[in-house]
Amino acid sequence: METPATRTRISLNPLRPLLRNPVALKELRGRMRGPRAFVVLTCYLIVVGGFTTLLYIAGTAATYNTTGEVDGGTLGRVLFGSVVAIELFLVTFITPAFTAGSISGEHESQTYDLLRTTLLPERQLVFGKLFSALAYVFLLLLAAIPLQSIAFLFGGVDVEEIVISLLVLLATAIFLGNIGVYYSAMTHRTLRANIMTYVTILAVILVTTAGAVIALAIVEGLDPSTSSSGSEWVLLVARGIFVCLNPLTTLLSTQQYLVNQQTLFTFKYTFTDGTTTTLPSPWIAFTIFYLLLSVVVFFATTRHLKRIEG
Amino acid sequence: MSIDNPETMETPTGEALAEAPILTEVLPELPTVMDEQDLIIETRNLSKRYGRLQAISNLNLQVPRGAIYGFVGPNGAGKTSTMRILTTLMKPSGGEAYINGYSVVTAPREVRRSIGYMPDFFGVYEDMKVWEYLDFFAACYEIPEAQRPGLINDLLELVDLAHRRDDMVDKLSRGMKQRLCLARTLAHDPQVLILDEPASGLDPRARIEIRELLIELAKMGKTIFFSSHILADVNEICTHIGIIEAGQMVAQGPIKAMRQQLMPHRVLVITLLGRLDEAKEALLHVEGILGIVDLPPEDGKIRIKVEFTGEDLRMSEMLQALTSKGIPVVNFAEESSDLEAVFMKATKGIVS
Ligand SMILES: Nc1ncnc2c1ncn2[C@@H]1O[C@H](COP(=O)(O)OP(=O)(O)OP(=O)(O)O)[C@@H](O)[C@H]1O
Ligand SMILES: [Mg+2]
Repeated sequence: METPATRTRISLNPLRPLLRNPVALKELRGRMRGPRAFVVLTCYLIVVGGFTTLLYIAGTAATYNTTGEVDGGTLGRVLFGSVVAIELFLVTFITPAFTAGSISGEHESQTYDLLRTTLLPERQLVFGKLFSALAYVFLLLLAAIPLQSIAFLFGGVDVEEIVISLLVLLATAIFLGNIGVYYSAMTHRTLRANIMTYVTILAVILVTTAGAVIALAIVEGLDPSTSSSGSEWVLLVARGIFVCLNPLTTLLSTQQYLVNQQTLFTFKYTFTDGTTTTLPSPWIAFTIFYLLLSVVVFFATTRHLKRIEG
Repeated sequence: MSIDNPETMETPTGEALAEAPILTEVLPELPTVMDEQDLIIETRNLSKRYGRLQAISNLNLQVPRGAIYGFVGPNGAGKTSTMRILTTLMKPSGGEAYINGYSVVTAPREVRRSIGYMPDFFGVYEDMKVWEYLDFFAACYEIPEAQRPGLINDLLELVDLAHRRDDMVDKLSRGMKQRLCLARTLAHDPQVLILDEPASGLDPRARIEIRELLIELAKMGKTIFFSSHILADVNEICTHIGIIEAGQMVAQGPIKAMRQQLMPHRVLVITLLGRLDEAKEALLHVEGILGIVDLPPEDGKIRIKVEFTGEDLRMSEMLQALTSKGIPVVNFAEESSDLEAVFMKATKGIVS
């Protein structure tokens, strides 16, 4: 018999294994129903596209002035970097908005108790909420790939860079999504969950940026005659940590190593005494670190939800 | 259904009264034989405090398997708190609670498998159709996908919502949402239903529909534990009742025993055409009479109130004593000791 249930199952077949999760299925269904999903996607593409156009106009003007003809490679790289930066900015603000209400919203709509007394494991609840929000963020990122690819027209950007930028953006979204769901589980108020999520994110951005800048300044100001290679190592690692904690500095320095040293996975660092060492590229450290941290936050959220209220 | 019940008096169309006979026909089929020792819900010295407020103290709840148990008490008595503990939503501050033999604290998953819970206030998802709503919860209860369409149809049929299958959930009326929520609690075929004021906020017709549904579910073998402050509901459909007041169980047991325990005095009103003193004299020889009071006459007829204890046999003896002397009795009826009286007697109004 052709019931609505069987029809839906067939049309969603490619996603089927993930849609075993009832929460993911319900959330995606709700998110994609009605005009909202379409409106958000359109606005997102207008913002990213608009900025790209502006940068293109400004970029061509700037490169004409200095060299007399358009420097395609530089323009391409600037355009690419800018699109990624805008995407990063939007992901940073959109992901928490999609996740900070995920669990607290169930309390506010008085549906949490119903859900809680079912057999649904807490980890499935958290995963379903997270997956449905991230699937949409991922859709936004994919939708902007054509804009990133405009840079190909000018050269100077490789496919690998697009893949790496997507990985970094995705790791950022996964981490921010986990933070959003975590705070949403900790409170029954969506507004409070939103505030706590954004404050946390802002703190991470400020601390890592400030840390990277300070560490960088110290490294550059090192006097070769007085510094030991030991203290330089400490500073290098400290700077590396701050750089790799921030998606923007991660992307910038990854690109820098790529342009200067033509290496994707590693980079060479030359100490002031002339010795060199090879280190993994920042994007690797960034992605691994935030994915691991996401797993930790995920389990913290699950653990909190497992608790029976006192 | 008693006519003097204010709950049914307010019905503007008289629907409730019209429906009543159907209900009373159903009533005798309620499960009556059950093992009072086979407890499906049991608490031992259960207590719960919120800060300094002792919401439940040393509650010993005993619900036999197959019972329809009415949990009655005034506002703030601790009914919802008890149910939230039983449904694993809240930890008790002390004591133990078991459902189907599983501790609500140490085996919450088994408890959840055994129960279907309907809270006093609940929301529905905004962007869902009726069948999607049931499909979602069936999935949460780990019902295999292939079985769900059939199950959903059965559940909708049971709660009489089959025609609203493709409507949005949030557009349903309150009574329909209540029925939908009840259908949801049945998705995993639980043995116990824990329903917090299932009839609150419903009009008389919807209330009767819920009541009929509960009776039907009881016939399907489910134990029903529900709270209410509508005494008529409790009176009509319960096999057992527990009265809670200020967090303490005032009385509980099979409804018949409760009536006897709390209302040991039975009251008889006799209307005579005359020979009052002779009648009193005759009645005093019957065993178990506690007192005879003169009532104001009605239409010139003499009325007396007789308080007595014991079985129905006493009444027959009294009637015989009167008629054997040829005393002109025109009316001889027991004043019903309805649950309202039991309730008012049991709860002293500690909680306002
Ligand atoms: N989360 C809470 N925090 C503090 N006090 C609470 C909380 N929940 C309930 N109480 C208090 O505990 C007592 C019992 O409340 P409960 O809701 O269990 O009563 P109830 O019998 O369900 O009442 P009603 O018939 O009004 O629904 C009340 O005094 C109430 O104010
Ligand atoms: Mg209550």
